[in-house]
Amino acid sequence: MNETYFKQLEETLYYEKLPNGLQVYILPKKGFSKTFVTFSTKYGSIDREFIPLGKKDAVVVPDGIAHFLEHKMFEKEEGDVFQQFSEKGASANAFTSFTKTTYLFSSTDHVLENTKTLLDFVQQPYFTEETVEKEKGIIAQEITMYDDQPDWRLYFGAIENMYKEHPVKIDIAGTVESIDKITADHLYECYNTFYHPSNMTVFVVGAVNPQEMMAFIKQDQASKTFEAPQEIQRFFPTEQQNVAFSERSLQMDVQKPKIIYGIKANNTNISGKEMLNYELSMQVAIELLFGRTSTFYQDVYENGLIDESYSADFSMEQGYGFTMIGSDTVNAKELTEKIKQSIIEHGKAWQFTDADLKRVTRKKIGFFLRALNSIEYIANQFTRYSFNDMNLFDVVPALENLTMEQVKQAFESLKDEQTHTVFTIVPFDKNSDG
Amino acid sequence: MFQQFELARGVKLYVRPTEQFKTINISFKWKQQLTEEQAAIRAVLANVLQYSNAEYQTNAEFRKRLDDLYGAVLYFDTGKKGNHHIFSLNAETVNDAYLSNEKVVDEVFTLLHTVLFKPKLVDGKFVETIVKREKEQVIERIQSMYDDKTRYAQQRLLENIRPNHAASISANGTVPAVKAVTNEQLVEMHNTLLTKDNLSIYIVGDVNVQEIKEKIERHFPFANRSEELVHEVEVTKTSNEKGFLHEIQDMKQGKLHIAYRTPVTFFSEEFPIMQITNGIFGGFAHSKIFMNVREKESMAYYASSSYSSLYGLIFVLAGIDANLQEKAVKLIDEQLKAMQEGDISDLEINQTKSMLTNQLKEALDSARAQIEIYDQYKEINESFTVENWVAKWSNVTKEQIGQMAQKIEKEFVYFLSGKEGAANE
Repeated sequence: MNETYFKQLEETLYYEKLPNGLQVYILPKKGFSKTFVTFSTKYGSIDREFIPLGKKDAVVVPDGIAHFLEHKMFEKEEGDVFQQFSEKGASANAFTSFTKTTYLFSSTDHVLENTKTLLDFVQQPYFTEETVEKEKGIIAQEITMYDDQPDWRLYFGAIENMYKEHPVKIDIAGTVESIDKITADHLYECYNTFYHPSNMTVFVVGAVNPQEMMAFIKQDQASKTFEAPQEIQRFFPTEQQNVAFSERSLQMDVQKPKIIYGIKANNTNISGKEMLNYELSMQVAIELLFGRTSTFYQDVYENGLIDESYSADFSMEQGYGFTMIGSDTVNAKELTEKIKQSIIEHGKAWQFTDADLKRVTRKKIGFFLRALNSIEYIANQFTRYSFNDMNLFDVVPALENLTMEQVKQAFESLKDEQTHTVFTIVPFDKNSDG
Repeated sequence: MFQQFELARGVKLYVRPTEQFKTINISFKWKQQLTEEQAAIRAVLANVLQYSNAEYQTNAEFRKRLDDLYGAVLYFDTGKKGNHHIFSLNAETVNDAYLSNEKVVDEVFTLLHTVLFKPKLVDGKFVETIVKREKEQVIERIQSMYDDKTRYAQQRLLENIRPNHAASISANGTVPAVKAVTNEQLVEMHNTLLTKDNLSIYIVGDVNVQEIKEKIERHFPFANRSEELVHEVEVTKTSNEKGFLHEIQDMKQGKLHIAYRTPVTFFSEEFPIMQITNGIFGGFAHSKIFMNVREKESMAYYASSSYSSLYGLIFVLAGIDANLQEKAVKLIDEQLKAMQEGDISDLEINQTKSMLTNQLKEALDSARAQIEIYDQYKEINESFTVENWVAKWSNVTKEQIGQMAQKIEKEFVYFLSGKEGAANE
């Protein structure tokens, strides 16, 4: 078992890669009552075209299948897994993102038994045509629920505007029509390909004895048999640099317009340290230009162009990434123009000093230290970093070493207007209401 | 859980020294009787104090100072608890121990003092442009609820069952009430906070209790004020005869919200039994509502119940196909009836006790949750601990749960859906 001590943070991380390929990380946290265990596969909604395990040819599966599979994992021949977790006082959950699926529980007692339940239910698939059909009604309601959420529609509208080909533009849950095509065979095909231990990671954080937990997981995995690991081949379409649509809007039953100004990232086929530095540089650049201490923010807030819903972020995974600046606004046109102007002006004359950089990195370090109080945050973030060959605990040193040159370079990639787009949700035209 | 000190009459300090967190959390909570008018004034005041003070010329300058202090968090907030409005000022700062040679904590106390005691006043009044702008922000916050169908439906349900009652009054007031707020009222309310409103101060983190107490006393010289207010909310017994309302909006899903009343409240002897009863009814993924409405019938993605104990109300929420409202209500009615008839398994009881225990223990892993839970439970017992509360659940029997279920009475069904569902009515 490997042991790494992060001096500044006073945290020790334990790690081992098991013979079947499963990666196990354990982070004990003193003073905490609960233990959080996550079991994740590097498989999400964007993995729609791939060569199934043991086959030669690539297949394209129905949209929304990774999420559908996540739902179906909880149902077994003997009933619902939630029942078992409840009996042992564990809150269980799961979520599917663009790039990963995570199953998790947290509990203050019976941690080893609950870990066993987690490992077993994720590693013992049980799908029948009947149970698959039954789930369609539930997921259709989940999709419908999201359809009624303007902020969700806004987010996906902006992504659809940016991406012409890449499957990140497809809603994670698919559509009522696409999930209707899903069969038990599809689920087994995806399961067998992506739920091999060599494509998965267990992360344990909280009140845990690392030696005992590692031994427990090792023994459990040794008692199960898996096929030999095989490199998973996934296929993604070529995506152009320019956005698919520079401007679109959607009418919904909202009180006032909502906009996202999106900027498509141009440098996303990276991982590890390079990715960490790139995303931190981008985040710092966005904070400098559009954060709450920026002249831009002060201007639009004081002029009533934004409200408390305002946000400005950069996020990425391998293969895609975007900056999003969004708010509910009474004047989408003027706000859009001001965002554009801010980028143009800083492109002409970069006004930020080293003191500004220091302040923003300090803010981000403080945020990170606060976040380390939350074992949910650590559990959710750690695996995301790990799947991209980064380490969550490298964030503080990377921030401390960030240079103005890196930030400026990240900013440069925001300047190309061909990569900009605006998506707006507008209230129904009251006059045409009938 | 917390060590407590009376700093002045009506001003209490609660400190929990712990090495669990890398930060220190501070929370001031001013309590006052909840009314629509006062809530609106307090919501606007929270924003005005957040965005302006006499020390920093602009809000950006103020925020830059917070960023320099390792992104210290400092915010005003408004909320409600029973029949009280809670005006709060919260801060979270990195503990100096994790920084080399820096004194961030003292600086944060200075900033807290600034935002509270040094408002930006001109001729004894707040700056009119700021007041106008922040009134607008609060109005937009209230209106944004309309865009969130679940919140909107819940508010409509509350307005129907408990009009002009603490249960339905928002901590932000209403749009007309916010519009009516005057500069003079804000100044007066600010004065009320500093000199009259009952105040609790919470601190959680790796602190020396005596030192932090002195720090608080030095930075915040609060005078004597009113003692604790009366807590119990009057539980309404009269029934609204209509009992059902279907409203239409441009949307896809049907939002089913059902209200039940019960004489058992947070302050009742039977409160712990009702917590278990609600847990079996719909509080968890093993509960009757989830198992039947979602797992058996595939009618919903979410279907659950929640116990609003300060108001003696239980709510069931489900997102369903707009045409299935009647079927869903019938199914949910059957679950309550089953419980009232004693159809409760040992497994359900054990699962629910385990889950409630876990929930409460887990909450201790967040400093803010420690504050919130203690702030509520201390109203029953100032020496509240998680262990002694968990013990109250352990001996609850099936018979007691059945009797509790009989004290739950359906009061109102509210349904919000798109036009499609309406056509089939």
